[in-house]
Amino acid sequence: MSALGPTRLTCEEVFGRLDDFIDHELSVEELRLVEEHLRTCAACASEHRFESRVISDIRSKLSRIAAPPSLREDLLKRLAEERGSLG
Amino acid sequence: MLLHLAGTDLATASGHLGISFALLVGVVGTQPAKSRSDAGSYEALLMPLLDSAYGTALHLTRNPADAEDLVQDAALLASRGFATYEQGSNFKAWFFRILTNAFYSKYRKRKGEGVRMELQDTPELYLYCQTAATGLHAKSENPAALVMDKLDGELIGTAIDALPDDYRVVATLYFIQDFSYQEIAEVLEVPVGTVRSRLHRGRRILQRALWQAAHDRGIVAELTQARGGDA
Repeated sequence: MSALGPTRLTCEEVFGRLDDFIDHELSVEELRLVEEHLRTCAACASEHRFESRVISDIRSKLSRIAAPPSLREDLLKRLAEERGSLG
Repeated sequence: MLLHLAGTDLATASGHLGISFALLVGVVGTQPAKSRSDAGSYEALLMPLLDSAYGTALHLTRNPADAEDLVQDAALLASRGFATYEQGSNFKAWFFRILTNAFYSKYRKRKGEGVRMELQDTPELYLYCQTAATGLHAKSENPAALVMDKLDGELIGTAIDALPDDYRVVATLYFIQDFSYQEIAEVLEVPVGTVRSRLHRGRRILQRALWQAAHDRGIVAELTQARGGDA
């Protein structure tokens, strides 16, 4: 490791950063180092592809649930009532 | 500070909601958005979030009636604290902070610790290891897709709902609201490192739950018995 930080990451170091990498939470320099490792390490690249797919599928499959129309109506009514009572 | 919320409580104004606002930190004052322009501004910001607020509340409370109550409580509280909202800042994060605080102070207290779950450490890459151990990596170049394509949203939602409270809240804000670690930290008023550890551990618990559900539904057996290329 140089004074400016590591120039390469080991598999273990990449593994420890995998979730943050998938979540776009790494610094620019760490991002570059992880990307560089994934380009040359088939095992880590396989784990990364797998985890990314799982997370993106979970996110996309969780249905966006619409609020019941009555909630919207009740809420607007309560907000108006409250303004009336306090105004 | 993204949320621009200071430390006074809303105890007086919120009494009839049955929430202890000593715990609902961060919202200043008790003045509702009562001028016509303030109210219009508040409602214009709030209403586009209603579906996502309800969806989040549903995962937090695990109950449609409670979810509606939670959203209404949070919306009224936010109205009363709207004077403290800094125009142009992240209204969504500001509102979800009030929503999650309301959940923690009212619903979690009422329901205790929620669903009990074994919190023994789940290994990293749980699904990856399980799919490898059952031979699915030899059947497909995309073993994650083999399993995930068989899991529907309802099953995944149920698995998230079964997470312990702290993990479920973070997972809901992450998976459903697409909040960043920093935004979740500000919503929950915890360090980013806490968000990171809860989210990472929550994911592992979630992967174990999904694999178990795949087992229980016969999906694993179906996939492992399928011929290569048929899976």
